[in-house]
Amino acid sequence: MRPGNRPHETEPTDAEIEAIVAEAIAAEAALARVEAAPPSSAIVWWRAQMRARQEAAVAAERPITIVHALAIAAGAGLMLSVLGYAVAGVNLAAAYQSLASGAALASVDLTSRWVTLPITAMLVSAAVATVAAYFIYADE
Amino acid sequence: MADATFPLEVDARRLHGDAGADASDVALAMDEDAFRAFYDRTSGALWGYLSRISGDRQVADDLLQESYYRLLKSVVPFESEGHRRNYLYRIATNLVRDSKRGPRPLFDAGVEMADMPAPEGPVDAEGRADVRRAFGRLKPRERALLWLAYAHGSSHSEIADVLGLETGSIKLLLFRARRKLAATLQR
Repeated sequence: MRPGNRPHETEPTDAEIEAIVAEAIAAEAALARVEAAPPSSAIVWWRAQMRARQEAAVAAERPITIVHALAIAAGAGLMLSVLGYAVAGVNLAAAYQSLASGAALASVDLTSRWVTLPITAMLVSAAVATVAAYFIYADE
Repeated sequence: MADATFPLEVDARRLHGDAGADASDVALAMDEDAFRAFYDRTSGALWGYLSRISGDRQVADDLLQESYYRLLKSVVPFESEGHRRNYLYRIATNLVRDSKRGPRPLFDAGVEMADMPAPEGPVDAEGRADVRRAFGRLKPRERALLWLAYAHGSSHSEIADVLGLETGSIKLLLFRARRKLAATLQR
């Protein structure tokens, strides 16, 4: 007989393998039954209720968070526009002073960012504030 | 959120059996009585499954609660108790698969086997430790296959349902897993 060519009789049959495995797992399952100490159903139910409530509360708060973010954005936009308007006012005052000294009103550049920026900011913040106000007062 | 503490008080009363409390405002897939009955029938076996598949009792404790919670939050229309149980095991299997892979103390804890209460059966403590180590050398899917087949007596279609496999492939996968476990045990 060549080395490695073992007699067929030493190989366990499928039925023997199945018996070995079944016995081993049955013993392990019996041990698992002894070990198992799951929490009571009342506790598991209570925890599930609590968690479901927390998740529902988080879900309910989500639209409010969005409205808060919009309101903050509107506030920031408003502040920006006021700041820009103030700067534009200073520039206009300087232009009027120039008029008094003979310069033309046309010297005020209406395409300047000091004019367009505050106007754009005001328009955007007005739109955002309208949406925010809708969300805030819609529920009420 | 002014009344955030109210549900806590209500639940505490329910937990202690106060029938007058009304806390049924959270939508879950089962009512309390049905859930508790189902849990009492299935939790011990599920804990055994989780502990043997994950190889960690602590993981089994954590995933047990998570499995039942996900079952309660599911919107699946269950046709039968068996269908619900299979779905629960499928959730548990996915949770084990997704859980952090770390050391698996259960499979390496041969020493502590001697301290465990001995169940009735022909295998002694040393033999059980060998079984556990051999089981630990299998892949999680092989452990799940063998456990469902031999500890739970599940059919091929039930195993396929739980593990998300084709029913036709279960026979071959079980055959391979059996041979692998037997070879490890005989080594």
